[in-house]
Amino acid sequence: MTTMNKGIQGLKGKGSQRTMLEGALVLIVIALALVIRTKLPGGELRAVSTIFMFIALSQAWNIIGGFTGYASFGQVVFFGMGGYFTAVVMLKFHFSFWLALPLAGVFAAVFAALIGQPLLKLKGHYFAIATLGVAEGMREVVINLPDLTGGGAGISVPIAGTFAKTQYLGDAGFYLLFLGLALFAVGIGTLVSRNKFGYGLRAIHQNEDAAAAVGINTVRSKVMAYSLSAFITGVVGASYVFQQVTIFPERLFDVEITVLMIMMVVIGGSGTVVGPLLGAIGLQFISEYLREHFTNVHTFILAAIIILAVILIPQGAVNYFREGRRTKDYSLLANIRRYRL
Amino acid sequence: MSTVPILETRGLGRRFGALDAVSDVSFSVNQGEILGVIGPNGAGKSTFINLVTGHIKPTSGQVLIDGKDMTGQAPWDIARAGVARTFQIVKPFNGMTVRQNIAVGIMYESHGTNRLSVALEQAEAILEEVGLGGSGDRMPGELSTADIRRLEFAKALATKPRLLLLDEVMAGLRPTEIEPSLELIRTLKARGTTVIVVEHVMKAIVAVSDRVLVLAQGKVLMQGGAHEVLADPRVIEVYLGHRYAKRQKGNA
Amino acid sequence: MDTFLQVTAYGLLQGGLLALVAVGFSLVWGIMNIVNLSHGAFVILGAYIAWEVQGWFGLDPFLGMFVSAIVLFCVGYVIQRYLINLIVNGPVFITLLLTFGINMALIQGMNLVFTADFRSIQTSYGSNSFEIGNIRIPLVRLLAFLLAIVITFALVAFVKRTRTGISIMATGMDRGAARLMGIRARHVYALTFAISAALAGMAGTMIATIETFDPSKAGKFTLMAFVVAVLGGLGNMYGALVGGLLIGLVEAWAGQYLSGTWVNGIAFLVLILVLIFRPNGLVGKAFYAARVEI
Repeated sequence: MTTMNKGIQGLKGKGSQRTMLEGALVLIVIALALVIRTKLPGGELRAVSTIFMFIALSQAWNIIGGFTGYASFGQVVFFGMGGYFTAVVMLKFHFSFWLALPLAGVFAAVFAALIGQPLLKLKGHYFAIATLGVAEGMREVVINLPDLTGGGAGISVPIAGTFAKTQYLGDAGFYLLFLGLALFAVGIGTLVSRNKFGYGLRAIHQNEDAAAAVGINTVRSKVMAYSLSAFITGVVGASYVFQQVTIFPERLFDVEITVLMIMMVVIGGSGTVVGPLLGAIGLQFISEYLREHFTNVHTFILAAIIILAVILIPQGAVNYFREGRRTKDYSLLANIRRYRL
Repeated sequence: MSTVPILETRGLGRRFGALDAVSDVSFSVNQGEILGVIGPNGAGKSTFINLVTGHIKPTSGQVLIDGKDMTGQAPWDIARAGVARTFQIVKPFNGMTVRQNIAVGIMYESHGTNRLSVALEQAEAILEEVGLGGSGDRMPGELSTADIRRLEFAKALATKPRLLLLDEVMAGLRPTEIEPSLELIRTLKARGTTVIVVEHVMKAIVAVSDRVLVLAQGKVLMQGGAHEVLADPRVIEVYLGHRYAKRQKGNA
Repeated sequence: MDTFLQVTAYGLLQGGLLALVAVGFSLVWGIMNIVNLSHGAFVILGAYIAWEVQGWFGLDPFLGMFVSAIVLFCVGYVIQRYLINLIVNGPVFITLLLTFGINMALIQGMNLVFTADFRSIQTSYGSNSFEIGNIRIPLVRLLAFLLAIVITFALVAFVKRTRTGISIMATGMDRGAARLMGIRARHVYALTFAISAALAGMAGTMIATIETFDPSKAGKFTLMAFVVAVLGGLGNMYGALVGGLLIGLVEAWAGQYLSGTWVNGIAFLVLILVLIFRPNGLVGKAFYAARVEI
């Protein structure tokens, strides 16, 4: 009994030590990000902002896809709806961006709650495809409501002059905004990964019947997870729209944005917080590098990287190394065997 | 002790297409009782548990818990009313350690802690109780068959049930492994927990049950004391066929 | 009334083609539980191959489609055997990501080799048509439609009557048991995928004879295959036919009677409604309902 108590105290001690270490790490990262901001030219600032944006997006997808295990293949719909909400309220109702931003998140979250009720009853591929259908369908709706959304011709947010409640933030300003969003999303992800709600989601991922049997309201938990991930995605979409000024339905509902989110999560390690973070940084970095140095074939190389990564480390980098540490087996060949026919 | 039975079913039934998997099952369990449920394969035992715990919605009849009508309620509502279950085909949360598996149940119990760290501490006692002490950091995939069954048992205990439904937790265990499980059921009874044991292992049923319910083809065949039930020609017939039962009668 | 009939006829003809696009996709999904996001790229690749064959040898597309089929059969076999088979037991988003990666590689490859220009396959009889009553039926569309129907029925016959076909079905229903019967699951999976790719190639060739194509159209065909397969019920080949005709009709009517570009949203609306209300498809129960989870 005494040894057990000691063990638990050791556990606790380790926990608070870990929290302090992480706190210090976060502060260092923020300080570093702020220092970098003053050193980088505009183009580079924008590139780093995009990395921040994808950190937030991948964390958002991880909540529904990674923790809960529901492969949302239409996640971009929340990006687009948050974005269009912002554009419309800023242009037509003269909202300030800072008011539109949280409301866009709420708008996306409410939408997620509404479609989540029927959709989250679907499993596996069915859910993936239904959400994809929603995203593609919503793009058509936006295109077909030109009076409200500008239709296929796009819509522009007021950014300067007397019409604009909020002046354009500029490269440095958006850098800070996206940094903030990334920190916010990572924070939410960390919280979820360690609290009751997150453990409920993981239980649902592993086995929904067993989760329900221990008292988890699976329907409510799934809808909440979906809404939470939609909130983050919507807020990011809102910021993206303000940054881009003029937006088009094709870009804002582009299935490739969804796929990028999923790739970052899966390659980094789904269901972890660090995985999507590293996945977003790594993939965005590689993608930028390829675009610059192999303009013609960069998509081709990126595709090859995806194919190889999915086959060699299907559980994602972080999970691969965690398991390796557990089992002392880092063999890629053994790793391939897990999902092989 | 209250006079209202902790669980009562009235004419409970479930049809799958043309098949009556369970029909017209009426019975009750009092608090602190251990009820054994037996029946040949396909008798509807698992469906019966699923009906009580809300995993399958009944097509007829009622389920009352503490006298309150809970028919057709969601599984989590039933769980939060103090009814826990195990699954015949074990369903561990594979991506979590054994300790985390238990902590989930502890946190989602209606009066449980909301804090993960506290739940993880509390999990230790339950693991000790089912004989998984020291395995807390292992993954379910690394456990033996017997230990996986213990984990299934522990996950149910984590929700601090007043009524526990055990769906073949002893299947596939060696005789020496069965004894600790029986001991645990007796301990639970001593604490006032009501237990419904669905089992093929007759020895286990006889050892712990206060009363035995026999299901056959989805209906209640009979109920009574363990020895009385097992000696009944109708029960022998559903298990061993009517010719065997006749011969037994002839001999007697 | 004449307009309605004309539109209906077009819808049916288009629907037959959609069915051919979807039938292989549905087979792969039903048998292996893989949603092949590169299916549309196979369709386009088939179109390019027939186009090249016509350019080099002057081969008529209705013969060239067999060349497409053979090439895609090989491509499909290799992709399944040496790529997809490696992660077949993985979670949903792993298989989706892999096939998306393959899709990206194929499309980019086609962009590099063939450029992104619009193309189409021209034939001497391409503009011929005849009339039934007041309804004009373009010859090529009718031929394509009839071929699509014939091929679908041939596929059903193949799967139900031949030894290979039955082993495909058996593997789809219970892979474990099929393996115990001596069926080589890896080979059967690759074969199924190859057949699906070959059918996509044939469909692509026919599409190329009636409309323009370029690599960016691949996504549209994948989505169409989705919708039709879900409508028909996974792995249900007659279902794919019915689903294809239905979507063809709905799109044709919507194009005629709805304003603006709402028609593009119709397929998705149908998809979501079917998924929510009849997830097993409109045409009875798909065979996969009997599948044993492994």
